[in-house]
Amino acid sequence: MSPLLMGLLGVMVVPLFVATWRSSLFGLSCQGLLMAWAAYRLNPDLHVVGTWLNLADLLVVRGLGAPLLLYRLMRARRHAARHDVIAPNLLSWTVALGLVLAAFNLASVLVPVDGDQRALTAVAAAAVLLAFLVLASQSTPFGQVVGALRLENGIALFELGGEHEHQSLVTQVGQLVIVVATIGLYVWLLRGFSEAGSAPAELAPDEPDL
Amino acid sequence: MSPLDLVLVPALAALAVLLGVGRERAALVLVGASFTTTALAVVEVTSVSPPGAAWLGLVRVDATSRLFLLLVNPIFFGISTYIWHRVRTTPALREWIGRLTWLALIFLASTNALLMANHLLALWVLLELTALTVTPLIVRPRSEASRRAAFRYLVFSTVGLGLVALGFACSSRGMEAAGLTPTFAVDRLLELGPLPMNAWSKLGLALVLLGLGTKLGLAPMYSWLPETYDEAPPAVAALLGAVQFNAALVVLFRIVQIYRVSSPALLTGQLLAMGLVSMVVSTVSIIATRNIKRLIAYASINHAGVIAIGLAVGGSATYGLLLYVLSNAFIKAILFLTAGKIMAHYKTNDTRVISGLLQELPYSGVFLMVGTIALLGFPPFGSFLGELLILSALVGSGRMLTFAAFCTLITMTFVATGRTVFPMIWGPSKEKHDWPRQTLPSALPKLTFLVALVVLGIYIPPALNQLLEQVAQSLGGR
Repeated sequence: MSPLLMGLLGVMVVPLFVATWRSSLFGLSCQGLLMAWAAYRLNPDLHVVGTWLNLADLLVVRGLGAPLLLYRLMRARRHAARHDVIAPNLLSWTVALGLVLAAFNLASVLVPVDGDQRALTAVAAAAVLLAFLVLASQSTPFGQVVGALRLENGIALFELGGEHEHQSLVTQVGQLVIVVATIGLYVWLLRGFSEAGSAPAELAPDEPDL
Repeated sequence: MSPLDLVLVPALAALAVLLGVGRERAALVLVGASFTTTALAVVEVTSVSPPGAAWLGLVRVDATSRLFLLLVNPIFFGISTYIWHRVRTTPALREWIGRLTWLALIFLASTNALLMANHLLALWVLLELTALTVTPLIVRPRSEASRRAAFRYLVFSTVGLGLVALGFACSSRGMEAAGLTPTFAVDRLLELGPLPMNAWSKLGLALVLLGLGTKLGLAPMYSWLPETYDEAPPAVAALLGAVQFNAALVVLFRIVQIYRVSSPALLTGQLLAMGLVSMVVSTVSIIATRNIKRLIAYASINHAGVIAIGLAVGGSATYGLLLYVLSNAFIKAILFLTAGKIMAHYKTNDTRVISGLLQELPYSGVFLMVGTIALLGFPPFGSFLGELLILSALVGSGRMLTFAAFCTLITMTFVATGRTVFPMIWGPSKEKHDWPRQTLPSALPKLTFLVALVVLGIYIPPALNQLLEQVAQSLGGR
C-alpha cells in the first residue's frame, strides 16, 4: 500500500481514538487534502475542466471549507474540548478495527489482483464503514455531521478508483453544487440549535402553521 | 413547446422571488407558476413525440416521465392553492411566504427535471436537490423540534443518497470489470440488455436499493419519516409525501427498468424483504400512535411497503402497483392538508381530543372520512383495485406466505386506523366550538384531489390507461 493511502487510512482511524472535536475536524481536513493529492496523482491532466472541478471539491470544499466552517461554529459556542466520535470503550475500538479488517477482506473479493486498486478500494470501504460506525454512535448534531461528512469523503474516495470519462461536466458541476449546499445547510441548521451539543427539544409554540 | 419549459418556468419564477420581484405577492407567483407547469405537463403528455434523448443526452421524456409529470404537477398546484388560501386568511404566515415560495419552486423545477432525466448521476443530483430545498421548509420559525426533525431528515437523506451514489460507483466498476465501457445514460443502459452481474454490480444494486428505500421510508432506515412528517408544516408534509416520494419512486423505477432482466432474484428478494418489514413496523406503529400526522406518516411507510412488494412481484402486479401509486399520491395530499386544517382549528394533533368533525368542520370531516376509506383500500378507489391486483399476482406467482402476511397486516392496519380515526369523524363533539363556516375555496384543492381519486377507481380514461400499460411494460409487467 502506498504511503498516501496509509496516510489516508491513518487520518480516518486516529480521530476515532483522540476524543476532541478539533481532532475530528483536523481529520476531516486531512482527508480532503490527501484525497485531492490522490486525485491529482491519478489524473494529473490540468487542461481538463473536470480535473479542476474535482480538485476544487476535494481541496477547497471538503479539505478547507467544511472543517473551517464547523471549527468557527464550535469555537463561537465555546464547546468543551472533549468530544467522543465513538463510544470510548474497548468494544467500540475493537469494532472499529474489525471494520477496517472487514473492508480489506471485501476489497480482496471485489478486486482479485493485488495492487493499488485493491488498496484504494480497501481504504474507501474502510472510510464508508467507519462513517457508519460514527453515525450509529452519535446522538449529537455535530457528531452526526462529522459522520455524514466522513461518509461523503468515503464515497468520493471510492469514485477516485473508477473511470471518469463517462461523467458529463454538467453532472460534475451538479455534484459539486450539491456538496456545497449540503455543507451550507448543515451549518445553517447547527447554528440554529440552542446548543450544538445536546439541548432537549422544545415543544413547538402555538403558532399558525401552513 | 420544449419539455425544458417545465423546469425553466418554476426556476425563473423562483429566481424572480429570490431577487425580490413580486415578493409581496409570492403566494400568487407560486400558484401562477405551478398552474403554468401543470398546463405544460398536460400539453407534454398529450403530445406524441418519440422518447429520444436530447440536451446533451441528459433529457429523455418517456412514458414514465409523462405519467409522473401528469401526477406531480397538478398535486403541486393543489398544494400551492392551499398555501395561497392559508396565507390569505392567516396574516401571521406572510413573514415566511417569500422563502417558502422560492424554495418550493426550485423543488418543483428539480422534480420536473428529475422526471425527465436520462442520466443516473443527474437523477441522483436532482433528488438531492429536492431534499436540500425542502429541508429549510420543514423548519418552522421558533420551533427547535422542527429544526431537529429537519436535521434528522437531512442526515438520513445524505446517508440514503450517499448509498445510492456509492451503488452507482460500484455498478460502474462492475461494467469496467466486465470489459464494458461504463455509462450512466439510462437509454444506453436499456439498449445494452442484460448487464453482467459480477460482485461489483451486485453490491452496487443492493446499495442503490437500500439507499432509495431510505428515501422512500422503507425499512430498515425509515425512522426519519414519522418525525419529519409530524414536525413539518402540513403543506410541506404533503409536498414530501405526495411529490418527493414519487420523485424517489421514479428513480427506483429507472433502476428496476435497467436491472429487471439482469438480476431478477436480487431485485425481487431485497424489495420483498424491505416491503414486508416496512409493513410490519408501520402496522405496529399505527396501532400505538395517537397523533394524526404520525398516523398518516406510518400509513405512508405501509404504502411504500406495498409498492415495494408490488415491484418485487412484477408481472400482473405492475399495473395495480401503478394505480396504487397514483391513488396514494392523492390520498396523502388530501390527508395531510386536511390534518393541517384540523390542527389549525383544534390546536392539537392528539386523536383522542379531536371528535365530531362531521358537525364541527364538515368539509374536513368528509375529506378525512373519504381519505381514510381510500387509504384503507376500499372500493371504489384506485387503491382497492391496485391492492387487489398485487394480491392476485402474489397468489399467481405462488408466494402464498407473503400473501398471508400481506392480508394479515392489511387487516390489522384497517382495524387500528379505524379505531383511531372513525371516532374523530363520527364521534360526539367534546366541547362547543364557534368556528367560522368553511368556505368552498379553502376546500377546492382537496375536492379536486378527491375527484381524481374517485375517477381513478371507477373510470380510467383510455389515454391514461395506455400510459399506465406502457409504464407497466417498461417495469416488466403485463
